Parts: sequence; C-alpha cells; structure tokens
Amino acid sequence: MEPFRRSAPLTLGVELELQLVNTHDYDLAPYSDEMLRLMRKLELPGSVVPEMTSSMIEISTGVCDSTAHVLGELSQLRDALVRCADKLNIAVVGGGTHPFQQWHQQRIYDRPRFRELSELYGYLSKQFTIFGQHVHVGCPGADEALLMLHRMSRYIPHFIALSASSPYVQGQDTQFDSARLNSVFAFPMSGRAPFTLSWDGFEAFFAKTTRTGVVKSMKDFYWDIRPKPEYGTIEIRVFDTPLTIERAAALAGLVQSLASWFLHDQPFMPAEDDYMVYTYNRFQACRFGLEAVYVDPVSGRHMPLREHIQLTLQQIAPHAQRLGAWPAIEQVVQEAGKSLNDARWLRRQQMRERLLAEVVRQAGERFKGRG
Amino acid sequence: MNEITAFWGEWLRPSAGLPTVQWSLLLAVAAAAGHLVQRHLALPKVVGYSAVGAIAGLLGFPGAAWPLQGIGLFLLELGVSVVLFETGGRIALRWFRHNPMVLLQSLLEAALTYAAVYFTLLWLGVRPSVADALALISIASSPAVLSRVFGDMRAAGPVTERVIVLATLGALYALTLVAARAGMMHSEETNLLALLFPVAVVLGLSVVVGAGLALVLRTALRFMIPTSENTSILLITSIAAGTALASHFGGSAPLAALLAGLLLKQLNPRPWAWPRQLGTAASLLVMLSFVLVSVVAAQADWNPAVTGLVLALVAARGLAKIFGALLANPGSGTSWKQALMTGAAMSPMSSLALLLVAQFTAASPSLGPRIASIALPAILLVEVLGAIVATFVIQRAGEGTRPEPTAGTPASGVQRA
Repeated sequence: MEPFRRSAPLTLGVELELQLVNTHDYDLAPYSDEMLRLMRKLELPGSVVPEMTSSMIEISTGVCDSTAHVLGELSQLRDALVRCADKLNIAVVGGGTHPFQQWHQQRIYDRPRFRELSELYGYLSKQFTIFGQHVHVGCPGADEALLMLHRMSRYIPHFIALSASSPYVQGQDTQFDSARLNSVFAFPMSGRAPFTLSWDGFEAFFAKTTRTGVVKSMKDFYWDIRPKPEYGTIEIRVFDTPLTIERAAALAGLVQSLASWFLHDQPFMPAEDDYMVYTYNRFQACRFGLEAVYVDPVSGRHMPLREHIQLTLQQIAPHAQRLGAWPAIEQVVQEAGKSLNDARWLRRQQMRERLLAEVVRQAGERFKGRG
Repeated sequence: MNEITAFWGEWLRPSAGLPTVQWSLLLAVAAAAGHLVQRHLALPKVVGYSAVGAIAGLLGFPGAAWPLQGIGLFLLELGVSVVLFETGGRIALRWFRHNPMVLLQSLLEAALTYAAVYFTLLWLGVRPSVADALALISIASSPAVLSRVFGDMRAAGPVTERVIVLATLGALYALTLVAARAGMMHSEETNLLALLFPVAVVLGLSVVVGAGLALVLRTALRFMIPTSENTSILLITSIAAGTALASHFGGSAPLAALLAGLLLKQLNPRPWAWPRQLGTAASLLVMLSFVLVSVVAAQADWNPAVTGLVLALVAARGLAKIFGALLANPGSGTSWKQALMTGAAMSPMSSLALLLVAQFTAASPSLGPRIASIALPAILLVEVLGAIVATFVIQRAGEGTRPEPTAGTPASGVQRA
C-alpha cells in the first residue's frame, strides 16, 4: 500500500455516478462510450470516466475548498453532460437505482478491471448497476484520517437518510428509502473498516489481507468509508446519487462541516463499541430514511434519526457558517425536518403518475435543474 | 397446388372460409420456422417467416395474388401502420435542433440512394420512368424488419437508435414522394396546379387522419395509463380505423400513422410504454406482413435479365446508404465505424416497399408490372439478406444479445459440474 499523502485539511472532492437513459421508454441506455467521446472535446474541471456497466458514467470534481466550489464544478460538468446527452438523444439522471432496469440486460464496460470483477463476482457485477455519490475529505495526516473515519462512522445513518434516492428496484417499491446499499452488502469486502486509530495498525491489517490473496489493493474494499492514501483523504461511499447537483454539493458541505467540527473541537473519541449499533442504525436509515430510529452508540438511547440530524446540525452550524457551507445545507436541513428526501420525491411522483418511466423522465428534468 | 386446394375446398366447408384456414396454417408453419431458424441457425426469425412465405409463393399459394387488394392489402397496410406509428413516436423533433447532422445524414442517405439506384438502372438500360419509381422505392428501408430484429436481440445503443430513426425518416420521404409521383403518372394535364392537386389530396388527407389519430390518443392518455392492456387495445384499434379511413378517402394509411406517432410524441412527452404491451397481437400482424410480402414477391418472374437488374439495384442501394451515413457523420455524435454500421444495417426492404410498389401498380397499369417485376424480387432478396446483415451489424456494434445457444448444448458451468 502506498504511503498516506499529505493533503490540505477539509478540502473536498465529489464523485457522482449517473444514469444514462433513452428518451422513448426511459430505460438505461448503453451510451457511456459516446458520452465520454463527446465530453473529452470540452474543457472541463475534474474528470469523466466510465463505470462498471455501459449505461453508467462517473463525473468527479477536482480538489475543491468549499461547497460553492464543488457546486460550481458540478454545474459545469452537469451542463456539459446535458449538452452531450441532448446531442445523442438520451438523458442523464441522478438517483441511487434505475427504478425498472433489468440487471441481466446490462453490459459490462469493456475495461480489464471491470472484466476481472465480472469474472469474479458473476451476476453481482451486473447488479452493481447502482449509482452513488462519493465524498472525499482532506485529512492532515494518516492517523488523523483514521480518527476522522471512525468518528464519521457515527453519522453514516444521517448520510444515508439525507441522500436516499433508491426506493425502486426492478420495477418494484422495495419499501427501503435506499435499496442501493443492499446491493453493496452482497460484496465480500463491504461493510465497515477495521477499528484501528493508528496508520501502522492499518498497514499491518492491509498486509495480512493481501497475504491471503483476498485483496490486492485498497480498491478491493467496498467499505462505507475507506481511507484513500494516494489522495490523502477519507472517502465516504454510502450516499445515493441525489437527483440534483445542488443536493450533492450540500451533502459534501455537510461532510466538510462535520470534519471541521472533528478537527477543531475534538468532540468525542471513537471506540470499537460504537460499531455495536452500527449495522442496526445503518439498516434503519436504509429502510426508513428520515423516519428511522437512531441508537446513540454511547448511551444506547433511541431517538428519531430526524431529531439527531437536527441536533448534529446545531452542533456543526458554526463550522458550516465559517466554511460558507451553511446556505447550501440549510435547505436540506429544512427538508429533513419535514422528512423530505429524494426517495420521498420519487414515491410522490410515482403515486401521481403510476408510470415509473415517467418518474425517470421527470427525474431527468430535475437533474437538468428544470424539475 | 391449385388442384389440391380446389379439391380441399370442395371437401372442407369451414365457417370462416378456406383462405382463413390456409392463412392460419401458413402462419403456424411460419411461426415454427422462425423459431427453428433462430434457435438452430442463429438467424433472425424474420428469415424463417420469409422462407416459408417464399416457398408457399413459389408453390403457387393462392391466398395472395398480385396486385394486392381487399383484406390482404388492408392487413399489410395495418401492419406497416402499426410499426410506423411506433417508430414515428420515437422521433423527438427537438433532437434535430440539438443535432442537425442526423437530419442531414438522413437527407443525404435518401438523396444518394435515389441517385445511385436511378443512374445505375438507367445505365443498365431501364427506361427513366421505371428507374425513377424504383429509385424512390429504394429510399425506404424497412422499419418493420429492423424493429423485429432489434426487438429479438433486445438491441439498444447509438447504432440501433440511429438506424431506426433514419429508416423512419426514409419512410416519410418515400411515402410522400411516391404518393406525389404516383399521382402524376400518365397525367395528360399540363397545368401545374391541376397536377399537384392529387398529391395535395393524398398528403392533406394523411395529415388530417394522422392529426386526428394523434389527438384521439392524446385525449385518451389524459385518463388512461399507457401500460394498461386497454390502452394498447385502444391504440391498435384506433390505428386500424385510421388506416381504413385514410385508404378509403384516398390518403396514405402508413403516412398517416407515421405522422400520428410523430405528432403524439411532440404533444405528449411522456414515455412510450405500450410497445411492450402491444405484444402478441402486434407481433402476429407484423409476422403476417412478412409472410405476405414473401408470398407475393416469390410470385415474380425470375429470369437472368431481371436477376442482373435486381443485384445491381441492391448493390447500388446498399453502397449509397453506407456512403450517405458516412458523409454526414462528422459532428453527428457517432464514430466512423458506427456510421458505417448504421448505413449497412439500413439495407432491409419489406412490407413498406411492397406497399409503395402497389401504389405505382394502381396508378399505372402499363408501367406498374415493369416496376413490380424488378421491385418484388429485390424486396424478397433484401428482406432476408437485410435482416441477416442488420443482425450481424448490431452484434458487431455490441448493442444486442447474441443468439441463444443451440439446443442441447449445456452451459459451461454445467459441463464443469
């Protein structure tokens, strides 16, 4: 494993996996090659790369220092994507799952790594046609990164509930707000990172697992949060891709504000026992979204997750304001108070339209900033 | 064969009439052949349908005499109309605003096809009026064959989408131009207005019927769910009524259906969910049209002179379509290889072309037979070859699933176990 690089603390990087759909029945459409070819011709920040199946595309910002910076770069990338999609007569859509695509009809993108993964994981690789947002946050050092990672783990349910946008899978309402994470759980190296607060300890763990041959690199871990030594960041991977880039930027702002609170106030020390309730809290957030129950890992107290989100936002508000992230997350905060997230929006549209394809079309308009 | 069916007709008195029994059995054999051809030869089902139709035609099947009329003509028109309504409904006109090169690609492909076929046939000694008619017919690809082949392969991607759109636009040009040209054939009139009157009638009626159909369906969709079976039935019966009306009043039924689909897409941007629902009823109708085309086309008089002309027409048409797609490709969003594949995949001709030939035959009793003598064998050849080429191309483009394995071959996992 390469050494943990230094990065400016609290810098941000955002990756968004996006859906490409056709414009007649709004099913997934294998256009990633064409989109990449058109996007290559444009001067853009960050990058655009293919993903596991050919109806997916991933955009990422460069290193950003604020939420506004993230939103600015995502806006440029989004506008370019929409222009290229219009040219190809397709649409780009957010959301954690495509509501009615059939996983077996997806095609693995032709790249050695994706072919290897497909060979290893079989049908799971096609079921990995799910769409997430990853947020990188810069850490001052390797040990600080692990401390930040385990502190951030307490807020995984908050991230899941706020970003949840995958209630429909294979044409059915799963009754989960985020069904996407159930697909990630099928992978053997998913879940949480091992509890160690020293980089030496983490390197020892990594050396052991590579010796068994089960993993070759950090990429083989599908943890909810993982260190990214080559960037000097930790990467939070539980977010569903939101339906709008504004929400994506706000969620990045939330991560940055939490990280700032951790670094400056050192509010608590994480412990192995925090993970006693981790899976339960995670399940609650996936299943019930903002209506979930949150179990405090220290006191064991049960409370509505929505209330804990409000409490957390009060705690980080000074940091969010100092970082200029507050205006972006304010709307998300207000919506959270009313239990509104993208999963709720999708269900509401479906209740009105009774046609998932129409919901996808409207989600496409929302991604453009028109919905 | 005629003696046998005559004897059979004497002996058998079915309630729906002998032709119904003959057609039912022919379609049953065609369905089985389509299945076997796909399963064991990895060829598109259309090849099986056409082969059965062609054999029946060569054996003198009595159920489809040329020129087509009555219920046979209506069913053919209905099959073409359903397909053109569906493909017309895939075209969002806003696409051409964002990507005008696609429209240019379509216009160039059609113009080059016309020119290549026309001059090739002239060079081979065909008289100009016949060459002109055949060149106009050649513009039309077969959205029916392409939809069927792509549907069987579950094809999706830029080449698939482009081929369907170009074929539909080609159908629009061919239907309009042939209606205009057929209306003016052998006219003694020299006054331009009087010459254009029949053309205006055909086009105007088609537009009126198309717009009426679109408005009916738009209204229905305000309170009906696109995925419901009843919406599908309403759709198909409305198209049938529109087809009968357009033909009765002298309009072009396929053109009306195409315009209806195109207009409905613009009026109603909601997704088109009914192609999946139309299911077996539409499949039967389209299959019937493939069999009918090959039965009729196989009755054409094959001789060496005609064979040479047919091969020249097919080659000139194929090259022109490829060249047209390539010429306007820069800036259209597809690679050179994809443009090449798009042009090649547009080779099928089928029921739509047969309807165009029927229009010329009805308009000119003297030129019609000469046009049909070259067009019918060409249609039969390109219906089969074109379907195979389109299958191969979509596989090469990586946009469709591979044909299912031959029966009896276990999957590799089973072999290992």
